Amino acid sequence: MTVKVEVIEGGIPHQKIMIAGLIATIVCLYLSYLNVYTNTAYFSFFGGLAVVAALIWGSHTIKVLCSYGIGTGVPSAGMIAFGSGVIAMLLATKFGNAAPIVALILAAVIGLILGYLANEVLNMKIPVMIQSLTELAVVGALTLMGFAVLITGSFTFTGLTTGSVTLFGMISMPSYQVSFIGGGLVAVAFLLGSIAVQHPFNACLGPGWKQDRMLMLTAECGFLSMIVAAVMSFALISAGAAIISLLIALIGWVYTYCQYIELSKRDAYAWLDAKPIPDVEGH
Amino acid sequence: MEQIVFGIGITALAGALATVAGSAEDTESNIGSQGDPNSQVQLAPQMGFVHRIFNKAVAGEPPAYALWCALGAGLAWAFLAMHVNAVLAIVLGSLLAVFVQGIYATTAYLGRTSSLAKFGQPVYVDILKSMTTVAMAHAFVAIFCTVTICYLINAALGHPFPLPLLGFIWGIALGAAGSATGNPYYGKERQYQNQKFGAGVPISASGNIVRYAEAGERNSIDNGFFTAKFGGPASGLCFGLIVFLELWRTILFEKVGAGWGAIIVGILIILVFTIIDRYMEVWARKNYGPYTAPAKEAAP
Repeated sequence: MTVKVEVIEGGIPHQKIMIAGLIATIVCLYLSYLNVYTNTAYFSFFGGLAVVAALIWGSHTIKVLCSYGIGTGVPSAGMIAFGSGVIAMLLATKFGNAAPIVALILAAVIGLILGYLANEVLNMKIPVMIQSLTELAVVGALTLMGFAVLITGSFTFTGLTTGSVTLFGMISMPSYQVSFIGGGLVAVAFLLGSIAVQHPFNACLGPGWKQDRMLMLTAECGFLSMIVAAVMSFALISAGAAIISLLIALIGWVYTYCQYIELSKRDAYAWLDAKPIPDVEGH
Repeated sequence: MEQIVFGIGITALAGALATVAGSAEDTESNIGSQGDPNSQVQLAPQMGFVHRIFNKAVAGEPPAYALWCALGAGLAWAFLAMHVNAVLAIVLGSLLAVFVQGIYATTAYLGRTSSLAKFGQPVYVDILKSMTTVAMAHAFVAIFCTVTICYLINAALGHPFPLPLLGFIWGIALGAAGSATGNPYYGKERQYQNQKFGAGVPISASGNIVRYAEAGERNSIDNGFFTAKFGGPASGLCFGLIVFLELWRTILFEKVGAGWGAIIVGILIILVFTIIDRYMEVWARKNYGPYTAPAKEAAP
């Protein structure tokens, strides 16, 4: 890949965000492995933090890709990220504790193929297409894995397909229906992630686009998704662990939401309450 | 026989719920100017027409509603797995999904409007407060009805898909029905009441949407009020028919020819609708449309 990515004026360059996002996501996913060492699920919240880190990287990739005049393609960029990511993520879960790394490599390969097809076969000829689709596929795979860890406490295939049902409050028996994949929660994670990754740029696009405002919104979307995913995790992990995830998500969300409103106030033309349309010259 | 009667009963109930869901969905998306009308609401300030209309574009309606309904269904599924009563589980799931929807709506409005600062479009806090709550209320009705349909399909009709996956599929269908049926009524009709009827949207009128109401300035609640009379019910009818016919053909004809019966009936239904649509389009163009070449006046 010899594609040169333009530096966004007056902001953090994309390469920096990409590297930071990738490292933070992988580290957070591996930190959730503490669950296995301590034999609890208290460290599941690291999955949620991995989601936030991956989303920040992904939303900036969408900004880079969609700067090439793909206006209505913003939501579909989120969809293709997770559509290609889900394959890599599901296959990677079979590789035990190497899963995050395998997901990264597999997703990159799938993204490369998709990018090649889009650019060369469909002739879209967008300079950053191949790199962006590769990044987006990795973001999709790692975000889904983050949600899986947050909800089930594990990123292995057995952990994602097996749950337990308690009968009469005493007898616990394994169940494949009550699990991340068997229960279809992977569909919810797919949409939570794909909307959260495309929304920040979709919401902030326009002549007054600012990098910090968009990235703050991404963090907000990530923590918001983490809140509801933490609520769902009550069904699959212990209440204590789910409460920890929920608290961290709530704190993160309140902080980022307030910050986002402040940044919007900073960038808005005016902040009016129940005022008429101002007279604009010429109309 | 008893099973079929039970199935038809569930089908009718699901169809009724879908009708309510569809009309609430369309009204919600119109209050938020989502989908078809959004581009003009976004464009208007850039052409110098600063407005007081709510602009929340989370995504197209099908993906957005796929998220709200899948989320509602996923949360309901989780509550059901925790042995919460089904009705309560669906209500709680829908409530949390609506919370997410409302937050997304506010961030979309703030983001879009702040990025238009260059053109003098202010952020109206009163719009944010009053429109978001109304949109959330309509979204709740839509999500609750759709998740209930999914629950009925799963629990009463014994569909093998888990609840969240059904929420995903029916959410996309709901968003698509509202986006295709009700939205053009707002986007092509309501926004351009100042243009000649049936004229389409000429380039010169781009962004020149109606911004003033009978009294004062128009906001998105006026738009919701307007489209709730026709666009909403039409979307409801559309989604209701989709759900009803889909379940009806499955229940009655699934046993015929090892499942092929239901597929053949499905294709027949599509053919019948295609013929009806074509007939209606031709009829409407003949009677109302300006599509016929205007008769040339004799040169003076």
